[in-house]
Amino acid sequence: MWLPVVVFAVLIVSTAGSTSFYFPPLTEVLDVLWTELAHGGLFGDLLFSLRNIVLGLALAIVVGVGAGLVIGEIRTLRLATGPLLDFARATPTVGFVPVIILTLGIGSGPKVFLIFLGSVWPILLNTVSGVRAISPAVHETARGYRIPWRLRLRRVILPGALPQILAGIRVALSIAVVLMVVSEIYGSPDGLGNFILQSGSSFHVAETWAGTILIGILGYGLSVLLLLCEHLLLGWYHQRAPRARPAKTATIESIDTIEKSNGVVV
Amino acid sequence: MARVRLLQLGALAAVLALWALIAAAGLVSSTALPGPRAVAVAFWQLAGSGAFWQAVGETLRGAVTGLVVAVAVGIPVGLVTGVYAAAEESSRLLMEILRSFPVIALLPVFLLVLGSTPGMKATVVFIACVFPVLLQAQYGAQSVPPSIRETVHGYRIPRLLRFRRVILPGAAPSIMTGLRLAATTSVLVAIGVEVLTTLPGIGHMIMESQQAGASARAYACILTAGAIGHTITLLAQFAEHRLLRWRPPALAGGE
Repeated sequence: MWLPVVVFAVLIVSTAGSTSFYFPPLTEVLDVLWTELAHGGLFGDLLFSLRNIVLGLALAIVVGVGAGLVIGEIRTLRLATGPLLDFARATPTVGFVPVIILTLGIGSGPKVFLIFLGSVWPILLNTVSGVRAISPAVHETARGYRIPWRLRLRRVILPGALPQILAGIRVALSIAVVLMVVSEIYGSPDGLGNFILQSGSSFHVAETWAGTILIGILGYGLSVLLLLCEHLLLGWYHQRAPRARPAKTATIESIDTIEKSNGVVV
Repeated sequence: MARVRLLQLGALAAVLALWALIAAAGLVSSTALPGPRAVAVAFWQLAGSGAFWQAVGETLRGAVTGLVVAVAVGIPVGLVTGVYAAAEESSRLLMEILRSFPVIALLPVFLLVLGSTPGMKATVVFIACVFPVLLQAQYGAQSVPPSIRETVHGYRIPRLLRFRRVILPGAAPSIMTGLRLAATTSVLVAIGVEVLTTLPGIGHMIMESQQAGASARAYACILTAGAIGHTITLLAQFAEHRLLRWRPPALAGGE
Protein backbone atom coordinates (compact mmCIF):
# COMPACT_ATOMS: atom_id res chain seq x y z
CA MET A 1 0.00 0.00 0.00
CA TRP A 2 2.88 2.34 0.48
CA LEU A 3 3.83 2.71 -3.17
CA PRO A 4 0.87 4.82 -4.34
CA VAL A 5 1.41 7.12 -1.39
CA VAL A 6 5.09 7.47 -2.23
CA VAL A 7 4.32 8.13 -5.89
CA PHE A 8 1.77 10.73 -4.93
CA ALA A 9 4.20 12.39 -2.52
CA VAL A 10 7.01 12.34 -5.07
CA LEU A 11 4.73 13.91 -7.67
CA ILE A 12 3.72 16.68 -5.27
CA VAL A 13 7.28 17.39 -4.20
CA SER A 14 8.86 17.14 -7.63
CA THR A 15 6.33 19.42 -9.25
CA ALA A 16 6.02 21.79 -6.28
CA GLY A 17 8.26 24.52 -7.57
CA SER A 18 7.72 23.57 -11.18
CA THR A 19 7.99 26.41 -13.61
CA SER A 20 7.69 24.09 -16.59
CA PHE A 21 4.84 25.16 -18.79
CA TYR A 22 3.63 21.65 -19.48
CA PHE A 23 3.87 20.23 -15.99
CA PRO A 24 2.28 22.64 -13.54
CA PRO A 25 2.50 21.85 -9.80
CA LEU A 26 0.16 19.03 -8.83
CA THR A 27 -1.33 21.12 -6.05
CA GLU A 28 -2.31 23.75 -8.59
CA VAL A 29 -3.92 21.11 -10.80
CA LEU A 30 -5.92 19.72 -7.89
CA ASP A 31 -6.89 23.23 -6.92
CA VAL A 32 -8.16 23.94 -10.43
CA LEU A 33 -10.00 20.63 -10.44
CA TRP A 34 -11.78 21.58 -7.24
CA THR A 35 -12.78 25.10 -8.28
CA GLU A 36 -13.91 23.95 -11.73
CA LEU A 37 -16.01 21.20 -10.20
CA ALA A 38 -17.55 23.45 -7.56
CA HIS A 39 -18.03 26.65 -9.50
CA GLY A 40 -17.17 26.07 -13.15
CA GLY A 41 -19.00 24.03 -15.77
CA LEU A 42 -16.99 20.88 -15.14
CA PHE A 43 -19.67 19.26 -13.02
CA GLY A 44 -22.16 19.59 -15.87
CA ASP A 45 -19.59 18.05 -18.22
CA LEU A 46 -19.11 15.17 -15.82
CA LEU A 47 -22.86 14.53 -15.68
CA PHE A 48 -23.15 14.65 -19.48
CA SER A 49 -20.34 12.11 -19.89
CA LEU A 50 -21.60 9.88 -17.12
CA ARG A 51 -25.11 9.80 -18.54
CA ASN A 52 -23.88 8.80 -22.00
CA ILE A 53 -21.76 6.01 -20.56
CA VAL A 54 -24.54 4.64 -18.40
CA LEU A 55 -27.10 4.74 -21.21
CA GLY A 56 -24.77 3.22 -23.81
CA LEU A 57 -23.57 0.52 -21.48
CA ALA A 58 -27.10 -0.34 -20.31
CA LEU A 59 -28.20 -0.73 -23.91
CA ALA A 60 -25.15 -2.88 -24.67
CA ILE A 61 -25.85 -5.11 -21.66
CA VAL A 62 -29.49 -5.66 -22.64
CA VAL A 63 -28.71 -6.40 -26.28
CA GLY A 64 -25.44 -8.23 -25.66
CA VAL A 65 -26.72 -10.56 -22.96
CA GLY A 66 -29.98 -11.19 -24.82
CA ALA A 67 -28.32 -12.01 -28.12
CA GLY A 68 -25.51 -13.89 -26.38
CA LEU A 69 -27.95 -16.20 -24.57
CA VAL A 70 -29.75 -16.99 -27.81
CA ILE A 71 -26.55 -17.55 -29.81
CA GLY A 72 -24.99 -19.58 -27.02
CA GLU A 73 -28.00 -21.85 -26.69
CA ILE A 74 -28.57 -22.55 -30.37
CA ARG A 75 -25.64 -24.48 -31.76
CA THR A 76 -26.34 -23.86 -35.44
CA LEU A 77 -26.55 -20.15 -34.91
CA ARG A 78 -23.35 -20.17 -32.89
CA LEU A 79 -21.40 -22.01 -35.57
CA ALA A 80 -22.78 -19.82 -38.33
CA THR A 81 -22.08 -16.49 -36.70
CA GLY A 82 -18.67 -17.33 -35.21
CA PRO A 83 -16.38 -15.75 -37.82
CA LEU A 84 -18.69 -12.75 -38.24
CA LEU A 85 -18.64 -12.02 -34.52
CA ASP A 86 -14.87 -12.36 -34.41
CA PHE A 87 -14.57 -9.89 -37.25
CA ALA A 88 -17.00 -7.47 -35.65
CA ARG A 89 -15.01 -7.58 -32.45
CA ALA A 90 -11.75 -6.87 -34.29
CA THR A 91 -13.19 -3.84 -36.08
CA PRO A 92 -12.14 -0.70 -34.23
CA THR A 93 -15.19 1.25 -33.15
CA VAL A 94 -13.15 4.45 -33.03
CA GLY A 95 -13.23 4.27 -36.83
CA PHE A 96 -16.97 4.82 -36.68
CA VAL A 97 -16.60 8.00 -34.68
CA PRO A 98 -16.19 10.35 -37.68
CA VAL A 99 -18.85 8.51 -39.69
CA ILE A 100 -21.46 8.63 -36.97
CA ILE A 101 -20.77 12.07 -35.55
CA LEU A 102 -20.59 13.75 -38.94
CA THR A 103 -23.86 12.21 -40.09
CA LEU A 104 -25.92 12.05 -36.93
CA GLY A 105 -24.74 15.23 -35.27
CA ILE A 106 -22.88 16.18 -32.14
CA GLY A 107 -25.66 15.62 -29.61
CA SER A 108 -25.96 12.95 -26.96
CA GLY A 109 -27.69 10.31 -29.11
CA PRO A 110 -24.80 9.49 -31.47
CA LYS A 111 -22.44 9.19 -28.48
CA VAL A 112 -24.73 6.75 -26.71
CA PHE A 113 -24.91 4.79 -29.96
CA LEU A 114 -21.11 4.74 -30.33
CA ILE A 115 -20.62 3.57 -26.76
CA PHE A 116 -23.21 0.88 -27.34
CA LEU A 117 -21.56 -0.19 -30.60
CA GLY A 118 -18.15 -0.57 -29.00
CA SER A 119 -19.15 -2.22 -25.76
CA VAL A 120 -21.74 -4.69 -27.02
CA TRP A 121 -19.17 -7.14 -28.49
CA PRO A 122 -17.25 -8.15 -25.39
CA ILE A 123 -20.54 -8.61 -23.52
CA LEU A 124 -22.06 -10.65 -26.31
CA LEU A 125 -19.01 -12.87 -26.85
CA ASN A 126 -18.52 -13.45 -23.15
CA THR A 127 -22.17 -14.36 -22.72
CA VAL A 128 -21.85 -16.90 -25.53
CA SER A 129 -18.79 -18.50 -23.98
CA GLY A 130 -20.40 -18.33 -20.54
CA VAL A 131 -23.39 -20.30 -21.76
CA ARG A 132 -21.04 -22.81 -23.38
CA ALA A 133 -19.05 -23.19 -20.17
CA ILE A 134 -22.06 -24.57 -18.28
CA SER A 135 -21.45 -28.25 -17.77
CA PRO A 136 -23.37 -30.46 -20.22
CA ALA A 137 -24.62 -32.55 -17.31
CA VAL A 138 -26.49 -29.54 -15.92
CA HIS A 139 -27.97 -28.86 -19.33
CA GLU A 140 -29.07 -32.44 -19.80
CA THR A 141 -30.64 -32.60 -16.37
CA ALA A 142 -32.61 -29.41 -16.92
CA ARG A 143 -33.74 -30.69 -20.28
CA GLY A 144 -34.47 -34.16 -18.99
CA TYR A 145 -36.82 -32.86 -16.33
CA ARG A 146 -38.56 -30.77 -18.99
CA ILE A 147 -38.09 -27.59 -17.06
CA PRO A 148 -39.90 -24.84 -18.97
CA TRP A 149 -37.47 -22.78 -21.05
CA ARG A 150 -38.23 -19.57 -19.19
CA LEU A 151 -37.45 -21.07 -15.85
CA ARG A 152 -34.40 -22.77 -17.29
CA LEU A 153 -33.15 -19.47 -18.68
CA ARG A 154 -33.69 -17.65 -15.43
CA ARG A 155 -32.53 -20.30 -12.99
CA VAL A 156 -29.95 -22.35 -14.88
CA ILE A 157 -28.43 -20.62 -17.85
CA LEU A 158 -28.29 -17.03 -16.68
CA PRO A 159 -26.72 -17.77 -13.28
CA GLY A 160 -24.33 -20.23 -14.89
CA ALA A 161 -23.11 -17.70 -17.41
CA LEU A 162 -23.12 -14.79 -14.96
CA PRO A 163 -19.43 -14.85 -13.98
CA GLN A 164 -18.38 -14.58 -17.61
CA ILE A 165 -21.05 -12.00 -18.39
CA LEU A 166 -19.79 -9.77 -15.61
CA ALA A 167 -16.22 -10.18 -16.81
CA GLY A 168 -17.44 -9.06 -20.23
CA ILE A 169 -19.18 -6.03 -18.75
CA ARG A 170 -15.97 -5.05 -17.01
CA VAL A 171 -14.11 -5.09 -20.31
CA ALA A 172 -16.96 -3.22 -21.95
CA LEU A 173 -16.73 -0.51 -19.31
CA SER A 174 -13.17 0.40 -20.18
CA ILE A 175 -14.09 0.49 -23.87
CA ALA A 176 -17.07 2.68 -23.04
CA VAL A 177 -14.92 5.20 -21.18
CA VAL A 178 -12.52 5.47 -24.11
CA LEU A 179 -15.31 5.88 -26.64
CA MET A 180 -16.88 8.52 -24.44
CA VAL A 181 -13.64 10.50 -24.47
CA VAL A 182 -12.98 10.02 -28.19
CA SER A 183 -16.49 10.95 -29.27
CA GLU A 184 -16.38 14.08 -27.13
CA ILE A 185 -12.96 15.11 -28.33
CA TYR A 186 -14.07 14.60 -31.90
CA GLY A 187 -17.19 16.71 -31.74
CA SER A 188 -19.20 17.80 -28.76
CA PRO A 189 -20.37 20.96 -27.06
CA ASP A 190 -20.24 19.31 -23.61
CA GLY A 191 -18.49 16.56 -21.76
CA LEU A 192 -15.15 15.84 -20.19
CA GLY A 193 -13.47 15.09 -23.53
CA ASN A 194 -14.55 18.45 -24.83
CA PHE A 195 -13.29 20.10 -21.65
CA ILE A 196 -9.76 18.72 -21.96
CA LEU A 197 -9.67 19.43 -25.68
CA GLN A 198 -10.78 23.04 -25.23
CA SER A 199 -8.43 23.74 -22.37
CA GLY A 200 -5.61 21.93 -24.17
CA SER A 201 -5.94 23.84 -27.39
CA SER A 202 -6.14 27.13 -25.52
CA PHE A 203 -3.04 26.16 -23.51
CA HIS A 204 -4.73 26.09 -20.11
CA VAL A 205 -2.44 23.28 -19.06
CA ALA A 206 -3.63 22.99 -15.46
CA GLU A 207 -7.23 22.59 -16.66
CA THR A 208 -6.16 19.93 -19.16
CA TRP A 209 -4.43 17.91 -16.46
CA ALA A 210 -7.38 18.42 -14.12
CA GLY A 211 -9.81 17.09 -16.73
CA THR A 212 -7.54 14.16 -17.49
CA ILE A 213 -7.30 13.27 -13.82
CA LEU A 214 -11.07 13.51 -13.48
CA ILE A 215 -11.51 11.05 -16.37
CA GLY A 216 -9.09 8.70 -14.64
CA ILE A 217 -11.03 8.96 -11.40
CA LEU A 218 -14.27 8.37 -13.29
CA GLY A 219 -12.88 5.27 -15.01
CA TYR A 220 -11.49 3.87 -11.79
CA GLY A 221 -14.60 4.75 -9.79
CA LEU A 222 -16.90 3.03 -12.27
CA SER A 223 -14.78 -0.12 -12.28
CA VAL A 224 -14.75 -0.22 -8.48
CA LEU A 225 -18.53 0.18 -8.50
CA LEU A 226 -18.79 -2.68 -10.94
CA LEU A 227 -16.59 -4.88 -8.77
CA LEU A 228 -18.88 -4.15 -5.82
CA CYS A 229 -21.92 -5.21 -7.84
CA GLU A 230 -20.04 -8.32 -8.84
CA HIS A 231 -19.37 -9.25 -5.25
CA LEU A 232 -23.04 -8.79 -4.44
CA LEU A 233 -24.20 -10.85 -7.40
CA LEU A 234 -21.50 -13.48 -7.33
CA GLY A 235 -21.09 -14.04 -3.62
CA TRP A 236 -22.12 -17.67 -4.09
CA TYR A 237 -19.53 -18.11 -6.80
CA HIS A 238 -16.56 -16.68 -4.97
CA GLN A 239 -17.39 -18.55 -1.78
CA ARG A 240 -17.32 -21.86 -3.53
CA ALA A 241 -14.04 -23.76 -3.28
CA PRO A 242 -11.91 -22.92 -6.28
CA ARG A 243 -11.74 -26.60 -7.11
CA ALA A 244 -15.47 -26.77 -7.72
CA ARG A 245 -15.37 -23.98 -10.25
CA PRO A 246 -14.84 -24.63 -13.91
CA ALA A 247 -11.11 -24.51 -14.55
CA LYS A 248 -11.36 -21.78 -17.08
CA THR A 249 -13.09 -19.28 -14.85
CA ALA A 250 -11.09 -20.14 -11.76
CA THR A 251 -9.01 -17.04 -12.08
CA ILE A 252 -11.49 -14.45 -13.12
CA GLU A 253 -9.19 -11.56 -12.57
CA SER A 254 -6.37 -12.67 -14.79
CA ILE A 255 -7.73 -14.98 -17.40
CA ASP A 256 -11.24 -13.85 -18.03
CA THR A 257 -10.94 -10.14 -17.86
CA ILE A 258 -7.76 -9.98 -19.74
CA GLU A 259 -8.08 -12.86 -22.09
CA LYS A 260 -11.57 -11.99 -23.17
CA SER A 261 -10.82 -8.35 -23.56
CA ASN A 262 -9.73 -7.37 -26.93
CA GLY A 263 -8.38 -4.02 -26.07
CA VAL A 264 -8.71 -3.26 -22.44
CA VAL A 265 -8.01 0.31 -23.22
CA VAL A 266 -9.55 0.92 -26.56
CA MET B 1 -16.80 -29.23 -41.39
CA ALA B 2 -18.21 -28.53 -44.82
CA ARG B 3 -21.60 -27.98 -43.27
CA VAL B 4 -20.16 -25.46 -40.83
CA ARG B 5 -18.46 -23.56 -43.65
CA LEU B 6 -21.75 -23.52 -45.53
CA LEU B 7 -23.53 -22.18 -42.48
CA GLN B 8 -20.93 -19.50 -42.02
CA LEU B 9 -21.16 -18.43 -45.64
CA GLY B 10 -24.92 -18.35 -45.26
CA ALA B 11 -24.68 -16.09 -42.23
CA LEU B 12 -22.30 -13.79 -44.10
CA ALA B 13 -24.67 -13.64 -47.06
CA ALA B 14 -27.58 -12.93 -44.72
CA VAL B 15 -25.76 -10.05 -43.09
CA LEU B 16 -24.76 -8.60 -46.47
CA ALA B 17 -28.33 -8.95 -47.74
CA LEU B 18 -29.70 -7.25 -44.63
CA TRP B 19 -27.18 -4.46 -45.04
CA ALA B 20 -28.10 -4.00 -48.72
CA LEU B 21 -31.79 -4.01 -47.82
CA ILE B 22 -31.42 -1.37 -45.11
CA ALA B 23 -29.30 0.81 -47.38
CA ALA B 24 -31.69 0.39 -50.34
CA ALA B 25 -34.81 1.02 -48.29
CA GLY B 26 -33.40 4.38 -47.28
CA LEU B 27 -34.04 3.87 -43.58
CA VAL B 28 -30.85 5.79 -42.94
CA SER B 29 -29.32 8.32 -45.27
CA SER B 30 -26.74 7.01 -47.73
CA THR B 31 -24.07 9.19 -46.10
CA ALA B 32 -24.56 7.32 -42.83
CA LEU B 33 -24.71 3.86 -44.35
CA PRO B 34 -23.81 3.32 -48.01
CA GLY B 35 -24.72 -0.01 -49.56
CA PRO B 36 -22.30 -2.95 -49.68
CA ARG B 37 -21.84 -2.59 -53.44
CA ALA B 38 -20.70 1.03 -53.13
CA VAL B 39 -18.29 0.05 -50.37
CA ALA B 40 -16.90 -2.81 -52.45
CA VAL B 41 -16.33 -0.47 -55.38
CA ALA B 42 -14.65 2.07 -53.09
CA PHE B 43 -12.46 -0.65 -51.67
CA TRP B 44 -11.41 -1.77 -55.12
CA GLN B 45 -10.41 1.78 -56.00
CA LEU B 46 -8.51 2.18 -52.73
CA ALA B 47 -6.62 -1.08 -53.16
CA GLY B 48 -5.21 0.28 -56.42
CA SER B 49 -3.94 3.53 -54.91
CA GLY B 50 -0.52 3.96 -53.36
CA ALA B 51 -1.78 6.45 -50.79
CA PHE B 52 -3.97 3.80 -49.21
CA TRP B 53 -1.15 1.31 -48.72
CA GLN B 54 1.02 4.08 -47.39
CA ALA B 55 -1.66 4.86 -44.82
CA VAL B 56 -1.84 1.19 -43.83
CA GLY B 57 1.94 1.20 -43.48
CA GLU B 58 1.90 4.31 -41.29
CA THR B 59 -0.69 2.80 -38.97
CA LEU B 60 1.18 -0.48 -38.70
CA ARG B 61 4.49 1.29 -38.09
CA GLY B 62 3.11 3.26 -35.16
CA ALA B 63 1.39 0.17 -33.77
CA VAL B 64 4.44 -2.09 -34.07
CA THR B 65 6.89 0.43 -32.59
CA GLY B 66 4.70 0.97 -29.55
CA LEU B 67 4.07 -2.75 -29.18
CA VAL B 68 7.75 -3.70 -29.32
CA VAL B 69 8.67 -1.20 -26.61
CA ALA B 70 5.70 -2.35 -24.52
CA VAL B 71 6.88 -5.95 -24.75
CA ALA B 72 10.47 -5.01 -23.92
CA VAL B 73 9.33 -3.17 -20.80
CA GLY B 74 6.26 -5.17 -19.81
CA ILE B 75 7.65 -8.71 -19.72
CA PRO B 76 10.67 -8.07 -17.43
CA VAL B 77 8.72 -5.83 -15.06
CA GLY B 78 5.83 -8.30 -15.00
CA LEU B 79 8.10 -11.27 -14.27
CA VAL B 80 9.96 -9.49 -11.49
CA THR B 81 6.80 -8.23 -9.80
CA GLY B 82 5.26 -11.67 -10.24
CA VAL B 83 8.15 -13.42 -8.51
CA TYR B 84 8.54 -11.10 -5.56
CA ALA B 85 5.25 -10.93 -3.70
CA ALA B 86 6.21 -7.73 -1.92
CA ALA B 87 6.71 -5.91 -5.21
CA GLU B 88 3.37 -7.12 -6.47
CA GLU B 89 1.47 -6.17 -3.34
CA SER B 90 2.89 -2.70 -3.11
CA SER B 91 2.31 -1.93 -6.76
CA ARG B 92 -1.16 -3.48 -6.98
CA LEU B 93 -3.27 -0.42 -6.31
CA LEU B 94 -1.12 1.72 -8.57
CA MET B 95 -1.41 -0.84 -11.37
CA GLU B 96 -5.17 -1.02 -10.92
CA ILE B 97 -5.51 2.71 -11.24
CA LEU B 98 -3.16 3.00 -14.18
CA ARG B 99 -4.76 0.06 -15.93
CA SER B 100 -8.27 1.45 -15.74
CA PHE B 101 -7.07 4.82 -16.96
CA PRO B 102 -8.31 5.52 -20.49
CA VAL B 103 -5.12 6.23 -22.42
CA ILE B 104 -6.90 8.15 -25.14
CA ALA B 105 -7.87 10.72 -22.51
CA LEU B 106 -4.19 11.61 -22.29
CA LEU B 107 -4.17 12.55 -25.94
CA PRO B 108 -4.69 16.31 -25.48
CA VAL B 109 -1.90 16.30 -22.92
CA PHE B 110 0.40 14.40 -25.26
CA LEU B 111 -0.48 16.74 -28.08
CA LEU B 112 0.59 19.61 -25.84
CA VAL B 113 3.79 18.03 -24.61
CA LEU B 114 5.02 15.93 -27.54
CA GLY B 115 3.19 17.56 -30.40
CA SER B 116 1.56 15.80 -33.33
CA THR B 117 4.37 13.43 -34.28
CA PRO B 118 4.67 9.72 -35.13
CA GLY B 119 6.60 9.37 -31.87
CA MET B 120 3.54 10.56 -29.99
CA LYS B 121 1.42 7.88 -31.67
CA ALA B 122 3.93 5.19 -30.71
CA THR B 123 4.01 6.51 -27.12
CA VAL B 124 0.24 6.29 -26.76
CA VAL B 125 0.30 2.78 -28.22
CA PHE B 126 3.06 1.84 -25.79
CA ILE B 127 1.08 3.00 -22.76
CA ALA B 128 -2.01 1.17 -23.94
CA CYS B 129 -0.15 -2.08 -24.63
CA VAL B 130 2.20 -2.28 -21.70
CA PHE B 131 -0.48 -3.18 -19.14
CA PRO B 132 -1.93 -6.29 -20.78
CA VAL B 133 1.62 -7.61 -21.35
CA LEU B 134 2.80 -6.71 -17.86
CA LEU B 135 -0.21 -8.11 -16.03
CA GLN B 136 -0.22 -11.36 -17.99
CA ALA B 137 3.52 -11.82 -17.38
CA GLN B 138 2.96 -11.14 -13.69
CA TYR B 139 0.13 -13.62 -13.55
CA GLY B 140 2.20 -16.18 -15.42
CA ALA B 141 5.13 -15.87 -13.04
CA GLN B 142 2.77 -16.28 -10.10
CA SER B 143 1.32 -19.43 -11.59
CA VAL B 144 4.60 -21.36 -11.39
CA PRO B 145 3.74 -24.16 -8.94
CA PRO B 146 5.15 -23.71 -5.40
CA SER B 147 6.79 -27.15 -5.53
CA ILE B 148 8.91 -26.08 -8.50
CA ARG B 149 9.71 -22.79 -6.82
CA GLU B 150 10.91 -24.55 -3.71
CA THR B 151 12.95 -27.07 -5.65
CA VAL B 152 14.70 -24.30 -7.55
CA HIS B 153 15.21 -22.47 -4.31
CA GLY B 154 16.53 -25.55 -2.57
CA TYR B 155 19.10 -26.24 -5.23
CA ARG B 156 20.23 -22.62 -5.02
CA ILE B 157 19.92 -22.10 -8.72
CA PRO B 158 21.33 -18.69 -9.64
CA ARG B 159 18.78 -15.97 -10.04
CA LEU B 160 19.37 -15.25 -13.73
CA LEU B 161 19.26 -18.91 -14.69
CA ARG B 162 16.10 -19.30 -12.69
CA PHE B 163 14.40 -16.48 -14.59
CA ARG B 164 15.52 -17.79 -17.94
CA ARG B 165 14.90 -21.50 -17.48
CA VAL B 166 12.07 -21.78 -14.99
CA ILE B 167 9.99 -18.67 -14.71
CA LEU B 168 10.03 -17.52 -18.30
CA PRO B 169 8.92 -20.88 -19.76
CA GLY B 170 6.41 -21.28 -16.95
CA ALA B 171 4.91 -17.91 -17.68
CA ALA B 172 5.08 -18.26 -21.48
CA PRO B 173 1.46 -19.34 -22.08
CA SER B 174 0.17 -16.43 -20.08
CA ILE B 175 2.60 -14.03 -21.75
CA MET B 176 1.42 -15.18 -25.18
CA THR B 177 -2.14 -14.31 -24.20
CA GLY B 178 -0.95 -10.87 -23.18
CA LEU B 179 0.87 -10.44 -26.47
CA ARG B 180 -2.19 -11.41 -28.44
CA LEU B 181 -4.29 -8.85 -26.60
CA ALA B 182 -1.66 -6.17 -26.89
CA ALA B 183 -1.28 -6.78 -30.62
CA THR B 184 -4.97 -6.12 -31.23
CA THR B 185 -4.94 -3.17 -28.88
CA SER B 186 -1.96 -1.60 -30.62
CA VAL B 187 -3.74 -1.32 -33.97
CA LEU B 188 -6.91 -0.04 -32.38
CA VAL B 189 -5.09 2.65 -30.44
CA ALA B 190 -3.01 3.70 -33.43
CA ILE B 191 -6.20 4.17 -35.46
CA GLY B 192 -7.87 6.01 -32.59
CA VAL B 193 -4.98 8.45 -32.37
CA GLU B 194 -5.11 9.04 -36.12
CA VAL B 195 -8.82 9.76 -36.04
CA LEU B 196 -8.30 12.48 -33.46
CA THR B 197 -5.12 14.05 -34.80
CA THR B 198 -3.68 14.97 -38.17
CA LEU B 199 -1.21 12.10 -38.18
CA PRO B 200 -1.32 10.07 -41.40
CA GLY B 201 -2.78 6.56 -41.36
CA ILE B 202 -6.00 4.65 -41.88
CA GLY B 203 -7.76 6.47 -39.06
CA HIS B 204 -6.98 9.80 -40.65
CA MET B 205 -8.13 8.47 -44.01
CA ILE B 206 -11.51 7.50 -42.52
CA MET B 207 -11.94 11.01 -41.20
CA GLU B 208 -10.87 12.66 -44.45
CA SER B 209 -13.14 10.47 -46.55
CA GLN B 210 -16.11 11.18 -44.37
CA GLN B 211 -15.45 14.91 -44.36
CA ALA B 212 -15.16 14.85 -48.15
CA GLY B 213 -18.59 13.18 -48.26
CA ALA B 214 -17.19 9.88 -49.56
CA SER B 215 -18.68 7.68 -46.86
CA ALA B 216 -18.34 4.52 -48.97
CA ARG B 217 -14.59 5.09 -48.88
CA ALA B 218 -14.74 5.67 -45.13
CA TYR B 219 -16.52 2.33 -44.67
CA ALA B 220 -13.97 0.61 -46.90
CA CYS B 221 -11.24 1.96 -44.60
CA ILE B 222 -13.10 0.82 -41.48
CA LEU B 223 -13.47 -2.67 -42.90
CA THR B 224 -9.78 -2.69 -43.78
CA ALA B 225 -8.99 -1.78 -40.19
CA GLY B 226 -11.21 -4.64 -39.06
CA ALA B 227 -9.42 -7.00 -41.43
CA ILE B 228 -6.04 -5.94 -40.05
CA GLY B 229 -7.22 -6.47 -36.49
CA HIS B 230 -8.70 -9.84 -37.35
CA THR B 231 -5.56 -10.97 -39.20
CA ILE B 232 -3.40 -10.01 -36.24
CA THR B 233 -5.61 -12.00 -33.88
CA LEU B 234 -5.44 -15.05 -36.15
CA LEU B 235 -1.66 -14.76 -36.58
CA ALA B 236 -1.19 -14.44 -32.83
CA GLN B 237 -3.36 -17.50 -32.22
CA PHE B 238 -1.38 -19.44 -34.80
CA ALA B 239 1.94 -18.39 -33.25
CA GLU B 240 0.61 -19.35 -29.84
CA HIS B 241 -0.26 -22.84 -31.02
CA ARG B 242 3.12 -23.34 -32.67
CA LEU B 243 5.23 -21.94 -29.86
CA LEU B 244 3.39 -23.60 -27.04
CA ARG B 245 3.01 -27.06 -28.49
CA TRP B 246 4.61 -28.53 -25.37
CA ARG B 247 1.86 -27.13 -23.21
CA PRO B 248 -0.55 -29.80 -21.96
CA PRO B 249 -3.86 -29.36 -23.75
CA ALA B 250 -5.74 -29.18 -20.47
CA LEU B 251 -4.24 -25.78 -19.85
CA ALA B 252 -4.76 -24.60 -23.37
CA GLY B 253 -8.34 -23.69 -22.56
CA GLY B 254 -10.00 -21.88 -25.37
CA GLU B 255 -12.61 -23.10 -27.70
